[in-house]
Parts: sequence; C-alpha cells; structure tokens
Amino acid sequence: MGQIQVMLPTRRAVSGQTTWDRLRRVLPRVPATSFLLFWTGFTIFAFVWIVVSSFKDNRELFASAWALPSALHFENYEKAWRLARMGNYFLNSVVVVSISTAVIVGVSAPAAYVLSRIPFRGRELITNGIIAGMGVPYQVLLVPLFVLLTNLYLVDTLPGLMVVYIALSLPFTIFLLTGFFRSLPSELEDAAAIDGANEYQVFYRVMLPLASPGIITAAIFNFIGLWNEYMLALVMINDQNKRTLSLALYGLQGSMQYTSDWVGLFAGVVIVMVPTFILFIVMSERVIAGITLGATKG
Amino acid sequence: MRKERKHIIIPFLLPAGLLYLIFFVYPALQALVVSLYDWSGFTPTWTFIGLDNFRELLRDRVYWGTLGFTMMILVVGGMLVFGIAFVFTAILSSGIRGKKFFRAVLFFPNVVATVALATLWAFIYNYNFGLLNGFFKMIGLKQLGSITWTGPGLITWAVLVAMVWIYVGFYVVLLLAGVDKISPELFDAAKVEGANQLQIFVRITIPLLWDVLTVAVVLWGIGAIKQFEFMYAFAGIRPPRDIWTTAVYMYVLAFGKRDAVFRMGYGTAVAVTLLILVIIFVLIARRLMRREAIEY
Repeated sequence: MGQIQVMLPTRRAVSGQTTWDRLRRVLPRVPATSFLLFWTGFTIFAFVWIVVSSFKDNRELFASAWALPSALHFENYEKAWRLARMGNYFLNSVVVVSISTAVIVGVSAPAAYVLSRIPFRGRELITNGIIAGMGVPYQVLLVPLFVLLTNLYLVDTLPGLMVVYIALSLPFTIFLLTGFFRSLPSELEDAAAIDGANEYQVFYRVMLPLASPGIITAAIFNFIGLWNEYMLALVMINDQNKRTLSLALYGLQGSMQYTSDWVGLFAGVVIVMVPTFILFIVMSERVIAGITLGATKG
Repeated sequence: MRKERKHIIIPFLLPAGLLYLIFFVYPALQALVVSLYDWSGFTPTWTFIGLDNFRELLRDRVYWGTLGFTMMILVVGGMLVFGIAFVFTAILSSGIRGKKFFRAVLFFPNVVATVALATLWAFIYNYNFGLLNGFFKMIGLKQLGSITWTGPGLITWAVLVAMVWIYVGFYVVLLLAGVDKISPELFDAAKVEGANQLQIFVRITIPLLWDVLTVAVVLWGIGAIKQFEFMYAFAGIRPPRDIWTTAVYMYVLAFGKRDAVFRMGYGTAVAVTLLILVIIFVLIARRLMRREAIEY
C-alpha cells in the first residue's frame, strides 16, 4: 500500500485510471486517427484497384469500375509487353538506370569522402557549389544540355541520356553521402593509417565498407528516381527504340486518346511499378533512413 | 601525420567534379546566355536580343497564368502538405501501433513513377467509370457522382489534391525522423507536469523540430516550383492550359512537338525565372525560419 501511494502523484499510474480518464485522452485523437486510416485505406485501395483493373477487359471496365474481373485477362500484359514493346523498354531502363546508378555512386563516394573528411582550402566552396545544384530546376538546363549533347553526337542515344542522368544526380547524391561520411567515427581511419595503410587503402578497405549503408541508400534512391523519370528522356530521346520504360508509359498514355485501351494502360502502369515496389518492400527501412539522414544532417 | 592525405583530394574529386562542371555548371551558365537570344533550335542563327525575352515575359499572359498555378501548388499545396503531415506525424509519434506500416503506405506514392500516378488519378477522376464518381453513385449520391472532376475550374484542384496525396508521405517521414531524435525524457517530463498531447506537440515537438522543418520547407519549395511530370502526363498528350505549370510552359515553348513553337531562347528565359523564383523562395524561407538554436 505504501508503495502505491508513493507512485500516485504522477496521476498516470495505470491502476488509478478510470474509463473516463482514458476516454478523455483518446477521444481528441479520434478524428485525426480516422483521417489517417481513411488516407492509408484509400492509398492501398487505389493501388490494388489499378492492379485488379489491369486484369479486366475494356468492356468490363467501362460497365463498372467496381466489379471484379470475370476472368483474368493476361492478354493485357501480353499486349503491353509485346505490342507496346514494353519488354524492350524495360530492358532499356534496366541498362540505363543500372549503369547510371553505378557511375553516380562510384564517382560520388570518393568525392563525398574527400569533401567531408579531409580539410583543405576551398572545401566549403566546392561542397556548397555542388549542393547548390539541388536547387536548380532542370528546366534551366534542358536547352543547353540538348545543344551540348547534339555537339557531342550523344543526343538521342542511351549513353547520352546516362551522362545527363549521372551529372544531374550528383548534387543530391554527394549531399547525402557527405552527411554519411561525416557521421563515421575517425578512430578506425586513424588506426588504419598508423598501421601503415596508404590513403587509398584507408578509403577502400576501411571507410567505404563502413559507409556501405549510406552507399546502398544512395544507390536505391538514384535507382528509383531514375527508373521513374521521364522528362529528361522525353527531351533527349526521339528514337522509338531507345525509349525508357517510364517514357514508354507516357507514350502509351498519349496514344490512349485514340485507342481508349485503358486496361492495356493499366497493365503498363503495373509493369512500371513492380520493380520499385519490390525494391521498396525489401528496402523500405533503408529508403526511409536515407531521407532521415539527408534531412537531419543538412 | 597522414601527410599524403592531401594527395588523394584531386583524384577523388576529379571524376565527379568534371562531370558536374561539364554537364551541369556549364549548361547552367550557358542558360543565362541562351536566354538573351532569339533562337529556333534549327537555324544556325542566334540573334542577340538582350533582355527582350524577359520584357516579352512581362506581357505574356500564358506565362503569368502558369506562374499563378505554380504559386498555387507552392503556397496552397504547401500549406496542405505540411498541415496534414503535421497531423500524421503527431499521431504516428504518439506510440500508435503499426507506425512503420502507416509510414510505409504514406510514403509509397513517392517510389512510383509520376506518369503511373498520373494514370492512376486519371482513373480516379474519370467521368464515366472513375473510382470517385463510381463511389458516389454507389452510395446513392447521384449528383456528386456526375461531376466532371477534370472539367474547367475543378481540374486545378483535382491536380492539387493528387499533389498533396503524393507528397504528404515524404514530409511525414522527414518530420517523424526529426521527432524520433528528440529525447523521450522530455516528453515524459512534460507528461508528468500534466501537459496534454497538443501542448506537448506545440511547445516541445515543433521547436525542437525546427531545423528539420526548415530543410523540409526548402525541399518543398525546390520541388514544387519545378513540377512538370504529373501535369504533363495527367490529361493525355495535350494537358489543358489550366494545369500548365511554368515548367510545363517552358517545355512546350522549347520542345513541345504538338505546338511546335521551338522557341529555345524564350523557353530558357522562362526557365531562368524559375531559378530566380527558387532563389527568392529559399532566401525568404531561411530568413523567416531563422532563430536561435533551442536546446532544452
């Protein structure tokens, strides 16, 4: 008994809580919580429904958006994959996005390491100069980049698109990775140097492995961002054979006006969505950690 | 100690530095030059016209219309995004079950291709078989069920709702990350003192979240001002002017194949005004949100 009395002044000891107390605590949260439930419910439903609808035929869709498909019309996917050539474009995207991501991370990691851990004159200036690029709307760069790529005979080629993707992704990636490298302890780095490792070894053998969560996060971010991008591809790519998947989906959307093939379009949407969806399911913690780090270190 | 450390600076910086200088800094500087010329993109003749492109902008009603919609996204969209994100952050940080699940679902639209999201919303708003009209018809609200959501007047709001839906999750993740870094002892102490949830959120959470919030606002501004992909894909190959952002107008002027204007110089001048807008926004945001660091 004595013990309980000592605890009572907090007023929130569970034993002293009446139903009324609890109600008064929970009730104000009900509208906001309902809103959250509605929002997430809507989001899940919307995505599920576009997948469900991608298995209907157009007649069923036009009759009622709410009915379930009578049979699974896989031919929508067949059509999107072959007729709309999304299979080819899928491959284009895999190549362009994988190589771009690898190069982006490959050149950004050493740069970020130097900028975050080695003091030298002009470091601030260079770091800020690169990070300032995050604020430049791509529209500013479109015409000059188009001209530059034309002069280099890279316009309307996949390598040209990759170069654009790489250059434009550097500010964000270096911003993210400098934050990561800065957060690493310097003891291991110093110990390795004392043990006689040269500076390249310090970086590749010690610091890079330590920073691997950051590197993976940066890679995922770039992969998802570039996989989904279509504006730069729209400007730089003209040849139908060289479209990326997102650009192809944009094209499919455009031709909808004439074909009215909504279910085919939905199949295209699902094809575009699946890779990033899987990546997100598997890696959501890393994706979310990336935003966290980028923002709370900045 | 570690004198040779300096030796790796140049080799480590060079690859990224060169790519950035050639394919980012140089085009950015050249944009300022291009914006002073009249150039169609096909002819080799570049006619220097000084600030004429910018003078023309002042009288260009389409430009001001698109700028109005861009500002609407920036300001109205921003208030909605941050208002809702705050509500969700407050709930999710109050020890609710399934926090990670909710966070992941809220964030999910941010990993989906914008053009896919545009298709999804076109499906939701479709007059004949859209999910929204279908829903209203199903619960017997015939009048609400026969609204043309993408008709004139409504379409800007239709797009705005979709924007808010996409981006709320991103800012919830950001704000939640900030909240998670606040020491739980502070919340416990406040509870002991008898503070309610709202007081705790306003007096403790927001002040300690201020730095993250500043970053979030800057990111929103940068992102909102260059919105292009959703609007340009939302209503088929030729989106109505009501939902042209300035970024869409820039594209139409310089590259749009439907209208075939090909005014590269004028388009770039339009883009330069977007850059100026970003700079002004960032300066104002940082000025307004500057304050002494708070540590309890």
